Parts: sequence; structure tokens; C-alpha cells
Amino acid sequence: MTVLEIKNLSIDFPIAKGVVHAVSDFTLNVPQGRRIGFIGESGSGKTTTALAAMRMLAAPGRIAEGEIHLMSLGQTNIIKLTDDEMRRVRLRKISYIPQGAMNSLNPVMRVENQIWDGIIAHEGAVSMAELRRRSKAVLESVGLADHVGRLYPHELSGGMKQRVCIAIGVCLQPDLIIADEPTSALDVITQRHVMQTLRKVQETIGAGLILIGHDMGLMAQSVDDLAVMKLGELVEFGPVRQVLEAPKHPYTRQLISSVPVVGGQSFLDNPPAAAVADTTPARTVPLLEFEGVAKTYGSNTALHTLSFKLDDGVPKIISIVGQSGSGKSTMGSLMLGFSAPSNGRVLFQGRDINRLSAAERMAFRKDVQAVFQDPYACFNPFYRVDHALAYPFKRFGLARSPAHTREEMEKACRTVGLNPALVLRRYPHQLSGGQRQRLIVARALMLSPKLLIADEPVSMVDASLRATILKNIYDLKDKQGISILYITHDLATAYHVSDYVMVLYRGHVVEAGPPKAVIGDPQHDYTRLLIDSIPWPDLDRNWGSADDARADLDRLDPVAANPIFRGAVAGFELATA
Amino acid sequence: MARIPAAYLVNRLITLVLTVLIASTLIWIIPRLSPVDPADIMLGRMSAAGGTVADSEAILATLQERFGLNDPLWAQYLLYLRNVLLFDFGLSTASFPTPVSVLIANALPWTIGLMLISVVITFIIGNVLGALMVWDHSPKLVRVAIPAAMVFTSIPPILSGLLLIWLFAATLQWFPIAGSYGLLVEPGWSWEFVGSVIHHGFLPALSIVVVTFGFWALGMRGLMITVQGEDYTKLAEAKGLRPRYILYRYMIRNAILPQITAFALKVGLLIAGQVLVERIFAYNGMGKLLYDAILNQDFPVIQGVSYVIILMTALSVFLVDLIYPFVDPRIRHGRA
Repeated sequence: MTVLEIKNLSIDFPIAKGVVHAVSDFTLNVPQGRRIGFIGESGSGKTTTALAAMRMLAAPGRIAEGEIHLMSLGQTNIIKLTDDEMRRVRLRKISYIPQGAMNSLNPVMRVENQIWDGIIAHEGAVSMAELRRRSKAVLESVGLADHVGRLYPHELSGGMKQRVCIAIGVCLQPDLIIADEPTSALDVITQRHVMQTLRKVQETIGAGLILIGHDMGLMAQSVDDLAVMKLGELVEFGPVRQVLEAPKHPYTRQLISSVPVVGGQSFLDNPPAAAVADTTPARTVPLLEFEGVAKTYGSNTALHTLSFKLDDGVPKIISIVGQSGSGKSTMGSLMLGFSAPSNGRVLFQGRDINRLSAAERMAFRKDVQAVFQDPYACFNPFYRVDHALAYPFKRFGLARSPAHTREEMEKACRTVGLNPALVLRRYPHQLSGGQRQRLIVARALMLSPKLLIADEPVSMVDASLRATILKNIYDLKDKQGISILYITHDLATAYHVSDYVMVLYRGHVVEAGPPKAVIGDPQHDYTRLLIDSIPWPDLDRNWGSADDARADLDRLDPVAANPIFRGAVAGFELATA
Repeated sequence: MARIPAAYLVNRLITLVLTVLIASTLIWIIPRLSPVDPADIMLGRMSAAGGTVADSEAILATLQERFGLNDPLWAQYLLYLRNVLLFDFGLSTASFPTPVSVLIANALPWTIGLMLISVVITFIIGNVLGALMVWDHSPKLVRVAIPAAMVFTSIPPILSGLLLIWLFAATLQWFPIAGSYGLLVEPGWSWEFVGSVIHHGFLPALSIVVVTFGFWALGMRGLMITVQGEDYTKLAEAKGLRPRYILYRYMIRNAILPQITAFALKVGLLIAGQVLVERIFAYNGMGKLLYDAILNQDFPVIQGVSYVIILMTALSVFLVDLIYPFVDPRIRHGRA
């Protein structure tokens, strides 16, 4: 039985220069109990289509043509409903689970109140005891304890918040659930848990599910049918196995091949040659050194005592992997001197970076560059992007003349594969996330740094662009001779680009060594869990159930005290206390 | 409701005491940097009134002795701190020998009454209008009328006051032109007196409301636009909640938080901030007292009024700090 029928839907966004056709002639049926994935890049119209079914298009978008029928309402075309009739459809018939898990709950209301107000809005006066019973039941169904209801959103982790959003979405047992990239801000382990929870409750209430995303692996593990969208058009639709194994449209093939897989074909054009033996005699002064470094915040230990030395002989990419809260970003901020260690010293070229003179600090800032996660927040929206590139170049005294600056900017853009004529002189909001992130890499490159700290540089860009940006970063090492510390939760990319991998869990190094050993053949339970949690585009793989995902996490605690070292690479030494 | 943690309370109390101490030290130092000698000024005023003054040297010495101007600075400072604690700011040099505390005690209730009421009304009107400017479901008329009303905001208070006097007091004669209450009314807790106070206070209050509500409305409008774009507002709509409920519980409830802080900072300033309004309406409040004191270089009164302003600002910030954990649950777990 079909729950939702979308017929010849077209959506237009009238703008000053004319009309943007965001979605054109889209036709699709959602059968009861079936999971349908909408996949495509940002701007492909997948979210717009789903929001049209909620009648919640962002201004100035409007439905230009087509019909959307909700079967349980006697096949009513919901485009024709009044605003108040549409309000009654939301949550009761079609519910929506938003993307921004961090910010989707009202910060000044307790969780249970935010479940209750939805029930009251659709069912009128409900007794307090009944409300309590129902919020308890619905929280339980997503694996949250009853007391979570009495907490405020800021007291929950990202994964818990997203499960609360799922609880809200299913509390009235709707016919259809629309989940808009529900796990994009979460690490792989939490992602698996949240995704399996969503599947479980969806199966329990028998609703249809539309899952919006751009990760082919996640789709393969989560949905029954796949709708591939490109530039507002449905380019391919079919059962997920058929789409994955025999993709018809070239765009679908491109999406599938852009997913990095551990052990699979490398996405780098020039896969790393067999490691060149480090023939240069070991220098006495390492490039970067952690000397018994630990970091605590109050009574919480973010990073347990750890020492390493990175020589500046042959450039290397060292990956630091782990889920959120593992201490990997703490390490990044210690290396950049943004926070001081509670114990030990961080040395750059033999000098304690927290005791530098003003001149040494300038040199340190030039030599150590960073690429951060959010390419949107890294630019000042009031300046053209040129400013972000040119200002540090001038500030560090590298610019000989305006023409020289310009020339270097263009050269850096070309190095990261951008056409300078298309990106320079623009404002940040005029560029895509991928373009911005590559500009950030170009900016770092202009300063000819010795070390680059890349903290989740690709987790917020479209899957198809990840490979390109990682290749840019890889080239920095390969062609520019810059050593890189790559901080990520994505083991598949770490597997391909790095020379050495450290796995962090709750501030401890649990496993470390060359990627072929650590990721290709993990020995520690936690590394194994991380790798098992990655959604591969492999349909025959068992991704486990929600209970498995939870049990796995429980089993891990407490942490095995001894890290497993899996072999060394020349020029990098690691030790834990 | 959760209790306020003791550490948080102690922290805020220390801040309160330190603010008042540092600020009152500053208002003690600043006049002493001025080359003008208050005893000189008094003498000058006496000679202006009576032609010549016999034994002017002796009188000067007596005055300097009496004001304690011959003591070492640290002794003057300690004495000052003691006096500040006791609300003793000495005697006014302009209306000698009335104590400053009496002048302030006479003026303060009028100002607090007028300013507090008008600033609360302004706060409510401004924020409600600012919210309605953003809300999708506002009546069309409201969305057109509010920006038009904003024109008043650009009028300087002195002009709006004169305009209101001309229209409602001089031409229509609905309200009295000046004063805080009728000359024939006996001050006291009688209906007649209260009625007269309201009658006299209406125009000054209106002139303040008219020119300042735009400040709140524009601020609220900006905050509401931010909140409107938040994911939780979108989820509220997706939950099918009633638009009015979303407006109160999701949008205004979150947008109002920074406005509350701004309100606390405004209250202290308003005690003295509407000098011109009080001048125009010949209203016997703190603004008029401060204005006259500055004209007459009446240092003790200036000091006393400044101290009251500081105390009011610090106290209202302290009060907001105490209220905040109840309106924003995120504060409770922050650093105390």
C-alpha cells in the first residue's frame, strides 16, 4: 500500500535574475513500511523535494506544478490543504527528523516538554499521567532512559539529541518519516547506533521512510530503494541492490566510486609508492615533539600522557582517528598552541610553543598551518575570499608587491585545482563548501608551512568532493614536502593517505602503527568497532542491529590499559606513559 | 525550579561589591583632578549675592576645614568610603546647608516611579512589536504600521517632549504643562494625589516611550530573525505546533534572553539618562537634580547622584544574574 504519492512535482525559486528550477518533474511513490533513500549532492533538490511533502519550502520556493497525495487522508492532494489542515498533517501523518542534531531542540525547554507539546498540538488536552507514560515509552523505544526526559538539550550528547528527535518524530506513529541527513554530524559509531535505532522504530510502527543523504555507504546499509537526484531531476530509481550493482546513470556510478573503501582501490591517482627509506641521518631536533603531554579539563582527562617525535626528514602524514570525545581535537589544539598542556611540553623545532618570544611566535604561526572542519565558518563573510589568502601572506612578510601576491594566490588556487578566475574576487557565500575548503588549503599552501594540522577537513563536504580535497592535501606532502597531522573519524580515508595511524579512545592511544596493519587488520576491540561501524556500499555485509551497536559500546568499557603497537615507521616515535 | 548554586551566588556578590567599590573610587578621584576649589566657588557665589564679603580669607579657611579639604588625601578617601556606606554625601554647596542625601531622597522616588514605569512599558511594547515584525503570521496591518511608527524613534527626545506639550498640554489642555503633581494637592496617600501624579506623569512617560521603544523593537527584530532561522524553530513547525505557541515558547522565549541583559544595563542609566525630559516637564527627579548640580558645580550632589546611578546599575545587573539561571537553563551548568 502506498502512503505517499508524488506526481510530476516541480519546484521553482524565483530570484532577482529569473527562476531557478530546483526540482523538475519528480514522480515517486513511497510504499508503506519501505525505506527510500534520496541521494545526491548539495543543491540536487533532495531536501527541497522532501520539504515540499511537509509544505515547508524555504522562501521564496514554491510548488510550480504537480501533486502530492497522502493516501491515509483519502488521497488528498496536500498542496490544496489550508495552512491549519496542513499543520494537523505534520507529525501526525508525516514527521520530519532534521539534519542539525546539535541545534534541533529548544534550548530552554526540557526534553519531555518538547515531546508533550507535539502530542497536545494534535490531540488536545491529554492528562499529565498519559503524557508521562507516552514520553517514557517513546524515549524507551529509541533506547533512552526515562530521566533523559527531564534534562535540557545542552545536557545531552549529539547522538542522544538525535535520538530524541527520532522519538519526537515517531511519538504519534506517522505514516511517513522524513529523515534529512540524520547522522551527518555524528561519528561512525554513534551514526550506526542512531541509524539502527531509526530503522528499528520505523519497522515497529510500519511507517514509510525517506532517508536523505549523500553517503552511498550509509544508503547501502539503510534503505530498500534508492532515488538518485542530480540538479533537481530524478536520474535513477530502483531497489538499492540493483542501483549499486548495475548503476545505469553515469552520475550514480560516480557517486558509488567516490566512496573510499579500506583495502579497495585508492582514490589517489598516484597511490603512495613503497615507502622511501629514510636515508637522511636522523636529525637531533624533531619537527614536532610531545614530551609527556597530558591535558585535563577540571576533573576530566581529555588526553592521557603521551609522547611522540616527528622528524623533519621525509614528510609524513600521521592520522589521528577516534570518535567525538576521544581527545583527537584536543591534540590538534595542543599542537597549534591554542591550549596549553596540563603536563609536559609541546615542542616545535625544539622550542616549547607555549614559551615563544613574539618573533618566534610569528615564525611558528607561519610554519604551522591549519585546515578546520567547517569551510563555512572559516571565512569572514564581509570580505572577499582574497582577503583570507592575501592577508596572512602580507602579514608574514612574504609579499614583495601586490602583483606578486596576486600571482602567488593564483598559483595556489591552481595547485588545489581551482580556476582563479572563478573563485577569486568572490564573497564566501558565492562559493560552494568544496571550493571554500580548497581555498583554505590554498591559503595554507601560500605560506609554505612545514607542518599542516588538518582537523576533519572533509567531513562537511559532499562525498564526491572528499576525494579531491584529500588528494590536494596528499599532494602537499607529496609535492610540497609538508608533513601533515590528519585528524579524522573516517578510517577509510586515513587508510589511504597516511603513513602512520594512531587510534584514540577516551584520551588513550589504543592502537598505533602503519595503516595497512592498524586499519587493514585491527587487533584492538575499539579499532575493530570503529571499522565495523563504517557503512560500506556492500549489501551483503551485516551492519548489526541497534542493540549490537549499544552492546559493542558497553563491552568496551573500561579501556584496555595497554596500547597495541603494530610496527613503526622511520622518523616517527610514539610512546605512552 | 532548581536552586542557584552557592558558588555562583558568592561570585556574583563579589562582583557587585567590587563594581560599586571601584566605581565609587573613580567618582571620588575625578573631581579631585579638577582645578576648581568648591570653597572658592561658594565664596564666589556669596560675594556675587552680597557684593563684598568681609574676612573672606577666614571664611575660606573655615569652609575648607569644614569640607575636610585640609586632611591628607587618604584620610579624605577613607572618610568618603565610610560616608558612602552610610549614604552620607555631605552638604550640597549649591543649596547649602541641605544634606545631599535629603536632596536625593526627595528626587529619587519621582524618577524611579516615572522612569521605571516608562522603561518597563517601553520594554514590553518594543519587544512585542519587534517580535511581530518578524513573525510570519502577524496581521498585515501590523507589519506595515510598525516600520512607520519607527519614524518617532529618530526624533530627539527634546523635540518629542516639546511636541507633546504643545499638542496635549497647550492646545488640547488634556494634561498639565509642568510639575510632578498639582500645586493645590496635598502630598500623601490620597486618591486625589495619586491621580494628580499619574496625570502629571503621563506626558513625560509618553515622550520617553515614543522615542525609545524603537531601540528594543529593532534589537528584538534582529534576535527574532536569528531565532527564526534556528533548527529548533523549523522542527517546531514540522511538529505541527500552533503558530502562536511557536511564537511564545520557541521564538520570543529564546530571543528575549539577550534583551533582558540589555534591560538591566539600561535601568541604571535611566535614573539619570532622561535629564532633558525632566527639564522640559519641570519634573523634580534625579535628572533635574543632576542637571542643576552640574550647572552649579555642586560636587557633593554630582557625587551622590553618580553613586546612586552606579548602585542602581550594579544592583539591576546583580538581580538579572540571579534571575538568569531560571530563564536560561544553560547558565546553571556554566562556570559559576
